[in-house]
Amino acid sequence: MRKNIGLKIFAGLVFAFLLVPLFIIIVTSFGTNSTIQFPIKGFTLDWYSKVFDNEAFMDSFFLSLQVAFFATLLALIIGVPAAYSLARHRVFGRNWIKSFFLSPTIVPGLVVGYAMYQFIVIKFQFPIIQGLFLGHFLICLPYVIRVVGSTIEQLDFSIEEVSWTLGCTKLQAFIKVVLPNITSGIFASFMLAFINSFNNIPVSQFLSGPGVTMLPTSLMNYIEYNYDPSVSALSVILMLGTIVLMYVIEKTLGLASIS
Amino acid sequence: MSYVELKDIRVSYDNKANILKDLNLSIEKGELVSLLGPSGCGKTTTLRVIAGLIEPNDGEFLVDTQNLTKVPVHKREFGMVFQSYALFPHLTIKENVAFGLKLRKEKKNSIDKKVKDILAITGLEELGDRYPKQLSGGQRQRVALARALVIEPKLLLLDEPLSNLDAKLRLAMRIEIKRIQRQLGITSVFVTHDQEECFSISDRVAVMNKGVIEQFDTPEEIYNNPKTEFVARFIGFENFFELTPTEEWNYKAIDGTVFHSTRDWEPGKHTGTIRPDDIEILIKTNQNTNNTVSGIIKVRTFLGKSYQYEVETPIGKLLANKTDDVVYQVGDEVTLSMPSHKLIIV
Amino acid sequence: MTQRRVPYLILAPGLILLILFLVLPLISTIFPTFFNGGFTFSNYTSFFLDEYNFGIFWRTIKISLIATLICVVLGVPTAYYISQSPKKWRGLLMSITLFPLLTNSVVRSFAWITILGQDGILNNALMNIGLLSKPLTMLYTEFAIVIGSVYLFLPLMVITLVGILENIDSEIMEAAETLGANRLIAFVKVILPLSVPGIIVGSILVFTGSLTAYTTPQLLGGNRNIMLATFLYQNATALGNWQGASVIALIMIVATLIVMKLFSWIAGRMDKRGEASA
Repeated sequence: MRKNIGLKIFAGLVFAFLLVPLFIIIVTSFGTNSTIQFPIKGFTLDWYSKVFDNEAFMDSFFLSLQVAFFATLLALIIGVPAAYSLARHRVFGRNWIKSFFLSPTIVPGLVVGYAMYQFIVIKFQFPIIQGLFLGHFLICLPYVIRVVGSTIEQLDFSIEEVSWTLGCTKLQAFIKVVLPNITSGIFASFMLAFINSFNNIPVSQFLSGPGVTMLPTSLMNYIEYNYDPSVSALSVILMLGTIVLMYVIEKTLGLASIS
Repeated sequence: MSYVELKDIRVSYDNKANILKDLNLSIEKGELVSLLGPSGCGKTTTLRVIAGLIEPNDGEFLVDTQNLTKVPVHKREFGMVFQSYALFPHLTIKENVAFGLKLRKEKKNSIDKKVKDILAITGLEELGDRYPKQLSGGQRQRVALARALVIEPKLLLLDEPLSNLDAKLRLAMRIEIKRIQRQLGITSVFVTHDQEECFSISDRVAVMNKGVIEQFDTPEEIYNNPKTEFVARFIGFENFFELTPTEEWNYKAIDGTVFHSTRDWEPGKHTGTIRPDDIEILIKTNQNTNNTVSGIIKVRTFLGKSYQYEVETPIGKLLANKTDDVVYQVGDEVTLSMPSHKLIIV
Repeated sequence: MTQRRVPYLILAPGLILLILFLVLPLISTIFPTFFNGGFTFSNYTSFFLDEYNFGIFWRTIKISLIATLICVVLGVPTAYYISQSPKKWRGLLMSITLFPLLTNSVVRSFAWITILGQDGILNNALMNIGLLSKPLTMLYTEFAIVIGSVYLFLPLMVITLVGILENIDSEIMEAAETLGANRLIAFVKVILPLSVPGIIVGSILVFTGSLTAYTTPQLLGGNRNIMLATFLYQNATALGNWQGASVIALIMIVATLIVMKLFSWIAGRMDKRGEASA
């Protein structure tokens, strides 16, 4: 097809719109001035070392990693068998149950966090960290149900049947035949759920307290009172993380699998 | 008692219409039996009942005098080959074949030997370390067969195993399946909708329709002597006409013509049928002899080795095939003669 | 028969967790908003009758709607461009689109603080080239929230649309051109109608996303341009008005559901019209 110049320029501008702001952050993270300036006057890496010296950032970073990891893990442990059951078994009210499993995506994140805080933390006096973990589990679960579910639906059911005829019990067939063939779906849903949990703000907004602050919340709190390039530096570090994740996904599954 | 017995099997989903109705089938040891029929006739359901993938609502299923009706699929020790081959994509060919043996916790040397032997029998020696997606359709088919056979199953079940192959390969594979089945002497049930395939491979054939077995016989018997109109239609008897029995072996058609059949006589049957190949076409005679009917050619179709004529007659439209020594034209008046040893009453 | 119960045993843990930690918390939070002595809707009627509250509700709807429209206008041609690119370029362009989506939303909003601020990059640049004599107020306005929301959700729109447009045969476009349509008309008459399902799905994502977004209005809207999510947070924390926060929570849930139903309904009607004319 012939190239359309007008379309090309339009798309180019949109891509610029998407990338330039992030590019500006990268540049400003190296500036010597104590507030953010663009273009920068001098070059320094001081803001990066400031990020690593900032205990609030580091603590919240590790907390975010842990919460995202374990919430995703629990979502997988509960979601993978559930997705299998919804795809393969004759379940009464199957569609209804599936929508129910996907319902955390319909409830706004801030409301999830708010209700959780009201109910779990205030009413039942659970520690905040448990509420945080459960809230993130809730937002991870739909990714697992959806992505793993569609992977299972695409899997030829007769390979399970043939494994039964060869002597597998239903459980053995699930472990020996189904799981090895849905690893890509499990991995994709793990990545998606992890990224979303790690980046999520609304759910964590209410569920934070002394010593329990997720990285995005901690970054947001910092921005409200400060305007220095250490925010840019931390942003660049997070972007590097994103690039690494995208690279891993591209090499293992292809980016198309998560979009 | 036969080696395999299905007794009064009934299957229905959600207790609505029956998929299988009081189905009875006996299979001898070492036999290859085909279930033949159009889609929806219940042949695959029957195979799945045998495999244990479907539990019948009523009836019993026995193998070697053991009642297996309630035995779950994984304890039945049958080998099954699926239409889609159902190879495990994450395992190599060797691992696919060894899958069942490993579950039986056999010793490694014994597994290796059995896998090697079966790969030799199925002509797959070279491909053991490949993955299923690296193989052609015919090769995948062999792997599926090897994987089912290596566990030395009491029964081999094949669900339309050749339908995903191209015509040439299908021909080669069915000879192959027959050879291996004979070599190992394994009792087999083969599901297909292709009658040629079915006749060439089977010791006996069960023709199914709407959840019942219409006829269970050797391929020759079914080909030559269909017992019901459905079976006759399914295997290529295209001419059917109403007859009234007058005395044994004698019938009268609606136009009064007398038909005589030397084939099996059974009271109550009253539809005459004959293959288009078996009708003789003669130049019209005015003699009114038995087993003949006159009519006008309406359509002529060239079939390659012969012409097919569609002839309008007083007893209905009849199809007759004739090789090209005398070529008739549309509109010609002809007399059709049906030899009494070819005319079947169903 | 025990076999029949297996699926329910497998599904039970997830169902129980969802009921315990999503349904019950929501009910226990929202239920009291309907009681004031007896059963009443008064909390909701008074919310909408209050001019200040209604202003916030209206601003939220307005900003979400504008952001959605802009995302459609920017997204459709861009997605079309991506779907028509050669395979090797398509991967790169998709990565450029995905990258912001996978980057933290705080980072993305922060980028616009540096651009739109009083002493920000845009103001400085415009003053340097002499277009402005004194800085414009762009940050902490509704405009900033719209920009931030578009920036946040445009990738979602584009990715959704690429999935749909990739399946449209490029010959259809060529066929339209051979029939005499110029490129723009062919695009409007052929590609646009075919991408309607993608536009609907993308719009649901963008609209409900903006409707319930917290980060963007918090960082780019300031104290004067409050939206529903920030209002909920303010009620619960600064004002200590739990009842008010719960009322807003239900309004957000219901608004999300209405938007989803409404858009799906529109999609359904569009589909029917397509069948009738085909």
